[in-house]
Amino acid sequence: MTAQTSATRRSSRARSSMYRGKAGQWAFILHRVTGFLVFAFLLLHIVDVATLNDPHVYNALHQLYGNIVLRLFEVGLLFALLYHALNGLRVIMIDFFPGAVRNEQALFYGLLGLTIVLTIVGGYVIVKPFFVGVH
Amino acid sequence: MAISLSPRAQRRPRQNFETWAWLFMRVSGLVLFFLALIHMYIMHIENDVTHTTASFVAHRWANPLWRLFDWLLLTLGLLHGGNGLRTIVNDYVHRPGTKLVTKTLLYGGGGALFLLGTITILTFH
Repeated sequence: MTAQTSATRRSSRARSSMYRGKAGQWAFILHRVTGFLVFAFLLLHIVDVATLNDPHVYNALHQLYGNIVLRLFEVGLLFALLYHALNGLRVIMIDFFPGAVRNEQALFYGLLGLTIVLTIVGGYVIVKPFFVGVH
Repeated sequence: MAISLSPRAQRRPRQNFETWAWLFMRVSGLVLFFLALIHMYIMHIENDVTHTTASFVAHRWANPLWRLFDWLLLTLGLLHGGNGLRTIVNDYVHRPGTKLVTKTLLYGGGGALFLLGTITILTFH
């Protein structure tokens, strides 16, 4: 890549690299990716709920959601939603109460840890019925 | 945080559309924090996904407050997510033609799904 193209590319990506590789940049990238995934799921979800007009189709579709692939997909959705929600609170705090957060990096790792723990706990509940049946 | 603004932007901050969009993301995000996580908990943790059948929904939607809850989640989710995607398009799509097509799809698709979701919530019995 020539210096010219590299410089052009850098300027066009100025917004996404404003945090210069610190924890905030990873927080930002993950916020975008998880937001996109949750939104994509919302679009799919609106369509699947619309089949309520034909209960047979709706019920068949929700039995399908019970297979292992879609259950794992559900766990992924849980992770994305939890991360986006918790990091969103962090963004709101930083925007509205500047200076209230002493250690942004620790806050980011803390919320990432909480997201992972809650995903594992929730993921266990979501995946378990596939193996032992629904009580 | 050191974010360099152009001299013009530093001199005269304006209450334009983007300022309101920024505020909307914070306010709707805070509301969605509770709506989306409560919804996820009830539909995926408390109840197994194979139990959320059409009769389950009929029982749940017998209470109009749950219909309102779900409609708010639908509306705020589409607006919050749609605006997020609009930001992503602004950041990464630069060719005017592609930008127009992408945004037309986004607004058209989002509007159609808003109608579909609203009709589903209002007409299911």
